[in-house]
Amino acid sequence: MKKEELLAKLKTIVKPYIQDEEAYTKLSEETDFINDLKINSANLVDVILDVEDEFDIRIENDDMEKMVSVKAAMAIVNEKLAAK
Amino acid sequence: MIGNDIVDLQQAAKDSNWQRPRFLDKVFTKEEQKLISNSEDKHQMVWLLWSMKEAAYKVNVQQFEKRFFNPKRLVCKLFSFEKGMVSIDNESYFTSSEITEDYVYTVATLNEEKKYKTHCFKMEQTDFKLQSQFLKKQLLTTVAKIENYNIKELMIKKTEVGVPQLFNNFEKLLTSFSLTHCGRYSGFVYL
Repeated sequence: MKKEELLAKLKTIVKPYIQDEEAYTKLSEETDFINDLKINSANLVDVILDVEDEFDIRIENDDMEKMVSVKAAMAIVNEKLAAK
Repeated sequence: MIGNDIVDLQQAAKDSNWQRPRFLDKVFTKEEQKLISNSEDKHQMVWLLWSMKEAAYKVNVQQFEKRFFNPKRLVCKLFSFEKGMVSIDNESYFTSSEITEDYVYTVATLNEEKKYKTHCFKMEQTDFKLQSQFLKKQLLTTVAKIENYNIKELMIKKTEVGVPQLFNNFEKLLTSFSLTHCGRYSGFVYL
């Protein structure tokens, strides 16, 4: 999936959980889910489940472990989509 | 080293739906899921175990300076409702929890430490930034008073992995501490 398209989809997915609007407006690959967007860690589970539903993939806990930033999430989604 | 985590039970019910498909499986081991399903108050048990994992994680990050997101790797054992242990790889952390109708609050330590100072409080203000400022001020006021520092010289700065550290007049203090907030509740602990 194209970078911009994936980024846009992720941006929509995280929206309900963010607590820092300013960081959300500036969301980029470098954005950190917890440190920047202030997503609480329980909601990070929801982000991962939403990502699974949106892309129809399953993310194992070993992969989930790295998903603390937009960049890491994009890499994992692309990897899973490629393996489909 | 010390870590803490608070869950506002009312807020958690609003923000998270642990009953959604696959949620419990991502977060809890089979044994932990058994504890939940056998428990009279499942909501409370979910968030008690969660707060234990979070508090232990905060100590683990201070120790190894490496972030990760995998709550299931942190394995909880309960000795009673209030006392437990969380293990990850070869590390174990002692946990001590306070459970009320409104919140669960856990403090995790490397050793069976009893000397830490902890305080939780309720705030009507739920704006994230204001809460965070207020919580930091509460911690600094307490530390300044007990350790005899000038509060104006005290400062909190986060490391690259997000661990907060305390400085007095730009000199790093060895005080280990942890901050947490959720919904209407906040808490700090320091050692």
